[in-house]
Amino acid sequence: MKKIFLLCSAGMSTSLLVNKMKEAAKKQGCQYEITATSLANLKEVQQQADLILLAPQVRFDKERVEKAVKDVPVDIVDMVAYGMMDGEKVLNQAKKLLKDE
Amino acid sequence: MGKNAEQDLTEVVMNIIINAGNAKSYAMDAIRAAKKFDFEKAEEKYKSAKDSELSAHNAQTSLLAEESNGQGIKLNLLVVHAQDHLMNCITFNDTAREIIDLYKTIKESRG
Repeated sequence: MKKIFLLCSAGMSTSLLVNKMKEAAKKQGCQYEITATSLANLKEVQQQADLILLAPQVRFDKERVEKAVKDVPVDIVDMVAYGMMDGEKVLNQAKKLLKDE
Repeated sequence: MGKNAEQDLTEVVMNIIINAGNAKSYAMDAIRAAKKFDFEKAEEKYKSAKDSELSAHNAQTSLLAEESNGQGIKLNLLVVHAQDHLMNCITFNDTAREIIDLYKTIKESRG
């Protein structure tokens, strides 16, 4: 199962979004392991992740994360989707990046 | 608090988190531009940072206004977390201002 990690500064607001994404994934019948965590855990995340999504509030760290993870795709969660906690939209963003569409 | 009020609160809180986070990102961009002595870009980014800070602050003010009207919100960890983001961005923006000015001084002293 592909692993998607959502990272923000504390893994707090992303954990809300992860729940919504899990609901959306269930509805669509697709299987992903989706986890929210803090950027501080990047080392552990980079060894497991198939995709890393950063919360928009930590986008200034994208370059550093990209350098650290090398081959894992990294993207910023769409800001509007994040604000509205739109799990489906973010899941679709993730699927596109994983080329699972 | 009904389901709707709870959802409204989540939206306001996310509004604070996103705007405060954006403010910090812009301030970081401003510092990085100043580091390259690109002060035009630095000032532009700093202005965006202050605009985002204001948006976050306005969202917080709306919560404070509700409370002073006697419609207290249900305090949860996410609300506290939003406050954390807001405070962090205010401090960071103030620091960014000082750092940009510092780079200006460095450039001037080098002639």
